[in-house]
Amino acid sequence: MASELRVNTLKDASGNNSIATSFVAGGSAKAWANLNGAGTVALRDSLNISGLTDNGTGDYTTSFSNALANTNYSFLTCNSDDATTSGVTTGYAYGVWKVGTSASVYSTGSMRFQMGYPSNQTLYDQKFVNTNVHGDLA
Amino acid sequence: MASILKVDTITGVATAGSIAVTGEGNSTTTNLQQGLAKGWLNFDATGTVEARDSFNVSSMIDSATGQFGCNISNNMNNANPMAMYDANGSSDGYNLTSGETLGGNGPRAAIVFQTASQFKFHVYNDSYIDGNHNNVGIWGDLA
Repeated sequence: MASELRVNTLKDASGNNSIATSFVAGGSAKAWANLNGAGTVALRDSLNISGLTDNGTGDYTTSFSNALANTNYSFLTCNSDDATTSGVTTGYAYGVWKVGTSASVYSTGSMRFQMGYPSNQTLYDQKFVNTNVHGDLA
Repeated sequence: MASILKVDTITGVATAGSIAVTGEGNSTTTNLQQGLAKGWLNFDATGTVEARDSFNVSSMIDSATGQFGCNISNNMNNANPMAMYDANGSSDGYNLTSGETLGGNGPRAAIVFQTASQFKFHVYNDSYIDGNHNNVGIWGDLA
């Protein structure tokens, strides 16, 4: 039977390691994705991601299954280029920047971002693209 | 009335590894287990590479200048977790070379290899460099 627990604070059985449930909800990532951004763009694994759009070379949009409450959330990315089957030993990290400054970039339902080579800001696809969202759910 | 729950383990009823937490908007729920960081690491790469503090990290790997890694204590359930790596130098960060500007042209740091039990990361700014402040976060499903 499904059950609902309403509580303000969690502690271990010894009464130590107290944490308010507000920190549990507020500190949890509300979305994350590990995606292949090269070739056929595809999610490897994710939380709260309903779709992935390939806008062009090095240009992606991730859509959220459950929307965020506002556009002030934290969006982090970490990416690297192609890997060998035996594991990367010379992997190269490319720079990442958000697209423009419009509200459509940080949308409650999606996030658009680009990545590319920093020196000339030419967009490149990256094989390993990791993204993370912290903020409030709607 | 304020309430306190004292417990060592929280387990879902229908699915042991899945507990819904109501979000800040008081309607939508988010998955507790999937939203929690499964590991994190703050380490100093200057001199002997060592963790300042960590969670679910069993040991460090120092492969070469600017090339590091870590083994985790409790494995992930696959090689596809979401991991973040960020690095910077001493008090003023890394110097940018000629022609580089901020806004995408700074030093680059990334996860470059991952399995269910091991992560490797590089930091590069025209050459591989050791930094003072390195931070790693790992999200995904535990085994």
